[in-house]
Order: sequence, then structure tokens, then C-alpha cells
Amino acid sequence: MSSTKLNSEGVMLFEQPFARVPYENYRKVFRATQRNIERELGNVQTVTNDLLKRSKSREVNLEDAVKSVDGMIGRVENLKRKLSELQDTAGKPTLDVTRERLQHLMAVEALQTTGSLDFSRWADTRLDRWLVDWALRTGRENTARTLAQDRNIETLVDIDLFTDIRRIELALSKHSCTEALAWCSENKTALRKIKSTLEFELRLQEYIELARDQKKQEAMAYSKKHLVSWQETHLPQIMQAATLLAIKPSTTCGPYRRLYDDSRWLDLIQAFRLAIYNLNSLPTEPLLNLALYSGLASLKLPSCNDRSSHNVDCPVCDPSINTLAQEVPFSHHANSTIVCRISGKIMDEDNMPMVFPNGQVYSREALEDMAAKHNGMVTCQVTGQKCEFNALKKVFIS
Amino acid sequence: MDGPLKELSKLERLTERAKGKTPSIENSLDSLLQSLREVKDRINAGSVTEDTYVLLAQTVEAKKKEIDEKQKEIYNGIARLGKALDKKFTQPLPTYEPLFASKDALAALERTIALHFLRTGQFSTAEAFIQECKMVIEPEQRIKFQDLHRIVLALKRQDIGPALEWSLKNREFLRKRSSPLEFYLHRSQFVRLLLAEPFDAGPAISYANATLRSFYPEHATEFQRLLTSVLYLPKERLQRSPYADLASDSVHTDLEPLFAKEYCTSLGMSRQVPLRVIGDIGGGGALARIEKARTVMKERKSEWSQTDELPVRTFSFVEANYVSLHLQIEIQLAPENRYHSIFACPVSKEQSTEQNPPMMMTCGHVITKESLQKLCKSNGFRRVKCPYCPTESTQANALHVVF
Repeated sequence: MSSTKLNSEGVMLFEQPFARVPYENYRKVFRATQRNIERELGNVQTVTNDLLKRSKSREVNLEDAVKSVDGMIGRVENLKRKLSELQDTAGKPTLDVTRERLQHLMAVEALQTTGSLDFSRWADTRLDRWLVDWALRTGRENTARTLAQDRNIETLVDIDLFTDIRRIELALSKHSCTEALAWCSENKTALRKIKSTLEFELRLQEYIELARDQKKQEAMAYSKKHLVSWQETHLPQIMQAATLLAIKPSTTCGPYRRLYDDSRWLDLIQAFRLAIYNLNSLPTEPLLNLALYSGLASLKLPSCNDRSSHNVDCPVCDPSINTLAQEVPFSHHANSTIVCRISGKIMDEDNMPMVFPNGQVYSREALEDMAAKHNGMVTCQVTGQKCEFNALKKVFIS
Repeated sequence: MDGPLKELSKLERLTERAKGKTPSIENSLDSLLQSLREVKDRINAGSVTEDTYVLLAQTVEAKKKEIDEKQKEIYNGIARLGKALDKKFTQPLPTYEPLFASKDALAALERTIALHFLRTGQFSTAEAFIQECKMVIEPEQRIKFQDLHRIVLALKRQDIGPALEWSLKNREFLRKRSSPLEFYLHRSQFVRLLLAEPFDAGPAISYANATLRSFYPEHATEFQRLLTSVLYLPKERLQRSPYADLASDSVHTDLEPLFAKEYCTSLGMSRQVPLRVIGDIGGGGALARIEKARTVMKERKSEWSQTDELPVRTFSFVEANYVSLHLQIEIQLAPENRYHSIFACPVSKEQSTEQNPPMMMTCGHVITKESLQKLCKSNGFRRVKCPYCPTESTQANALHVVF
């Protein structure tokens, strides 16, 4: 193994989502806490003010007062229980995961080279994480779970997030917007910040479904309630939606047929995916694919497609991986590197390339080895040409 | 990662119960509950007055404020952690068109992943995956990897039996490669017998006699060392002797990688796990390099038509009539990741191709065919001087070399 210096920046480029997902999860827990507090304490405030007002105007009877106070005690106790539950089942575990992940990243930053066993173990885990991410995104949930359990990396992968994504996507594929809309309202502020129009598109879909069923009154009420608030940015769409009521689902008129078309649901799934990935700073492509793309582009050479220069150790020469590499550009090299086809070693001044009379080149070390075993005779591995070691010529590569 | 971890610690302290500057939310709620219960008692005792309600309203107000402030503190802590993460991760992952999405590519990717699980001994994951993808993996592929792991696991348990059985079956192959595997397996067993408690050199010596003797011609020196080491027993003495290396664990643990290497080579498999190799290169700086070049290109708005194009350059091979993409930047590879020879012409700086092969002049210097032709042409097709030494040669005398 070589001891190449660890490129920390290059490693960290892939790790943003790894650190971000638990952070975003924690923000969600915080928002839930805040909502509970506002709701319960707001209510207690109203009740106390009401009590005070009624007592001032001498309208309060004791029985009612006890009931009100009991109600408030119930609410506060309930709030206390809920908050402690949230902290124990969501808040604390999420912070623990955040800590574990940050420390996992710190461990690799502390390594100087990629040659150590520690790095090798870290990189094994990283590949496992990428494979889980890939499996989750492509719907191989069972694979993802088995792998995560088997390698004991459940806190280092985001199975829950993707289970949630799948649940909502499944609902959309069954033509229900309810779950996706609930997600939108949970993430309202964040979605506004990234200027996502997912919510509008979902609302528009619910409106289209009403139009499809010819429920015109309901559709108009729905539009008033949910679509009109988007008029600043989406007026043309809202107007088009209004016209839709006059047009039957069987229409052949382009824009309206597109609105009624079932493929709109697929677009919604796509848009939802983009939005939730964006909020968690997940890339649109699986991490594995990004790593493979750039890794293959660094390795791929015309020789990988040439049977005569096939090398079993070269990953790109592997038949399956070679198919993947078709989508990737060739690597670029400004300098020569001559690799011995016998020993696999790189040739340089200390291990000069030597050429057979027929033009085949191998390393001096490998040929000397061969000559020592065969009375000074060497054999070309490719053509079978035999000659004396002394007949070989030195090759100079500048 | 120091920055984010520091902020995380602060946040953890804030959210732990009964800590932080302000009283915890739990305390505030408790004291609110107490006030409420007192009011209830007063009502029940009939001693409630308007002031009681005024006071209660004030308490509720005060406690709510307390809790809001605590929440604000936590909120700020979260925001600071977010900023620390922003500072640490400045570059988002790039957006690409869907990769490996064609039917062929997807099937190839699935197969690559399935073989990866098998190769790394993750058999239950492999089965789950093969089932989920509804793909077919040839039974002989599975057996190949199961054997590999069975034998490696035995080696981990210090059982050389299965590995020895394999190397006997593949003796011819190992001999051709002058692989020391079989000898090293016996050496490991010999050392184990030698160092077994209670101390008795007998079994080790008779083992050497029965097994190691036949390796004497190829491993004479090591054979002598092994038998001389007997003089330095027991283990504590051996560890301080010139034969200390024999007492180290690596005599046994090095067998695993050595065996795996021979096993994989014999079956035409790569010595490293291919997915790990590619992933380590991609995730070890290659993607970052490509992205940096892309940013620079975007800034320059250079000759590329699409600004979101990759830093690649197209080469058209007129003869083959296809266009291929090349990266514009060089991504440095470790020596162990150099699998093929690359010849870049020192004159034209171009990589050699089948149509433009490397040619060695009589002095031994190599340039590509096109460069050589240009040199000849400019010299009126007479003898040309090598660009790197004073030797003169002719185009006809140049040898087409193959690396």
C-alpha cells in the first residue's frame, strides 16, 4: 500500500449531507417542541386572563374556577410530559447521532495518509455508507437495512429519512397529496427560503382532481382558499386553472390535456424528491455514483478497452465496470508512465525499460530475474520471441 | 471538525436538564404547576380573591417569558452550529445529469455491487440484494467467494488446513509464480508448534522434517533460520534474539492477504476490491478536482459552449468515426493505481494511440510517429537529429515499441 497524503478537502466534499441530515432532524425536533409550547402555554394564558376578567366582573363561580384551573394543570402536565418525551426519544438521540458523525469525520481528518489500516477501515465504512445511500434511493430497502445492521452502521446512515421519503412518494403514486402537503407545512419556512413551488404544484393537483370530478363549486372554493395566495408569482397558472373548469378531462387541447395527464403525478414525485434532498443538502445523484464517476474518469484509458492490454488488476478492465465507464470521459495525462507488464511495477531510472528486438518493452528487474533463471535467456511474454539478455536495448522515456 | 463539535457541545449543555444560564423549561413548568395548585387550594378553601387571579396571570406571563427565553437560547445554539457547519462545508455536492441510468449501465452497476458484497464476504447482504434486484449470479461465482472467505476465516482462527489444501491443488500455478505461500503456511505452523506451551521442540522439528524439508532448494536461508531459531527458545528469549521476527504475529497474519492475492490471481480476479479502488480515488480528491476545474471554466467562459459542461475536451478519431471525451485536467494517481502504460510524446505532448504509436529512434529515445514524421519533413526527409541527444537517425530505422 502506498502512503499518499490524505486529501482532506476532497474527502469532505462528500460528507456535507452526512453532517447535515442529523442537524436538520434536530431543527425539526426543536420546531415540534416550540409548537407544543406555544399551543399549550398560549391556551393557559387565555384561560388565566379570562378568569381574571370574569373575577373582576364578579361572574366567576367557584366550581367553574376549579374546573378551569384543573384544565390548566392538565395542560401544563401534559406539556411537561410531551417535552420530556420529545427530548428523550428524539432530541437527545439526534444530538448523539450528530456527535457520532462529527467525530467520525474528525477521526479521518486526523489521519495523515491513506496508507494506514485506520484509513482503510474508514474507507470500508464509507463505501458501506454509500452503498446504503444508493440502495435507499433506488428502493432496495431490504438490502440497505441488512447492510447497515450487518456492518453496525445504523447511526451513520439515514434509513429513517428515506423511509419517510418513500412513504410520501408512495402516497403520491397512489394519487394522494395529503402526506406531501403535511410535509410542506412542517417545512414551510425552509421551503420558502429555497423558493420551492412544490406546495403550489400539490395544491394545483388537488384542484385538478376536483375539476376532473366536475366538482366545480368545490374547486372554486378550493382555489380561493389555497391557490389565490400564490397570485403574485403564479397568476398565469391560476388563471389557467380557472379555465380548466370549463374543459373536460377528455380534451385534446395541449396545455389542459397536460394538466389532466397522469404523468403530472410523476413530476410531483420528482419535485418532492428535489425539495427534500435540497433541504437536507443531499445531492440529486447517489453519492456512490458521484464517486464512481470521478474515480472512473481518473482511471479510464483507451488501453482499458483493448483486449491485448487487459489487466485483471485494473478496475476499469472488469467487464461490468467497463460498461459503466462508457459513460465517463477518459483520463488525461501530460506525462508518461510506463508500467511493466510482467511485474506491474512502474519503470524509471532505477528500473529501466528494456526493449526486445521486436519492439516489446518490459522492466529491467523483471527481465534480469528471468535471465537469472534461464541461463541469460529472456522470452517475450506477448510474442514468445527468445533472445539473450545482452541483445536487449535500453529505452529512454523523457 | 473542531468548530462544529464545539458548538454541538454547547448545544448539548443547553438542552440537558437543569443546566444552562436560565432555569430549565422543566423547572419553569414545575413552578407554574405549583402556582396553579396553590390557586386551586385557595379556591377550594374559599380564600380566593381577585388578587389571586392577578397574581396567577402575572406568574403565567413570567413563566412563559422564561420558557421563551430558554427556547431562544437553544434556537441561537442551533443557528451557531449551523453556521459552524456552513464554515466547514463550503462547497455543495455538484448536480449531475442522472448517471449510469441506461438499462445496460444499471444492470452493470447492480452486478458490480452484488459481486462486491460477495467478494467482501457480506453474504447475507448479497442475498438480500440479489433477491431485491431479481438478478442472476452464477453459482460458481458464489462458490468462488464463499471458498475464499471460508479459507480466510480459517486462517484467522490459525487453522492453515483449508489454505494448505488449496495450495496443494494449485501447486503448479504457485510454483510458476514462485509464490512462497505453501512454504509460509508451513512456516506458520512450525512457529506455532515451536512456541506452544509447555516448551518442547520435538513436534516442531519433526514437523519441519516432514513438511519444510522439500522447500530447502528455494528457501534455503529461511529454512536455516527457522531451524536455528530453536536454539533461542523459549519465546521471551526468541523475542530478544536475531530471530525476533519469527515471534511476531505477522508470521501468521500476513498469510491472509498473501493467500487472498494468490487465490484472486488464480481465478483472474483483481488483487484489490475494485469498487473500493474507484471509490477511494473519486472520494479522495478526484471529484473535488473536476469540480474546481469546472468552476474555473465557468469563470473564464472559455471556448466551451455550455457553461455547465464538464472539464472535458473532445477528440475525434476520423478513422474510427467516433467522438470520445477526455478530461482536461490530470488527476494524480498513486503508483499502485497505475495499471496501464501511458506514453505522452515529449514533443507533441499528446498521448500515443494505435494510429500514432510510440517510435524509438536508434539512440533509444522515444517520440510518437507523427512527431517523428514532422521532424523528418522539416528536414527534407533526410536524417534527423534526436531532439534529446546529438544522435542522428532515419525514420526507417525507428522501431515501433509496445509498452
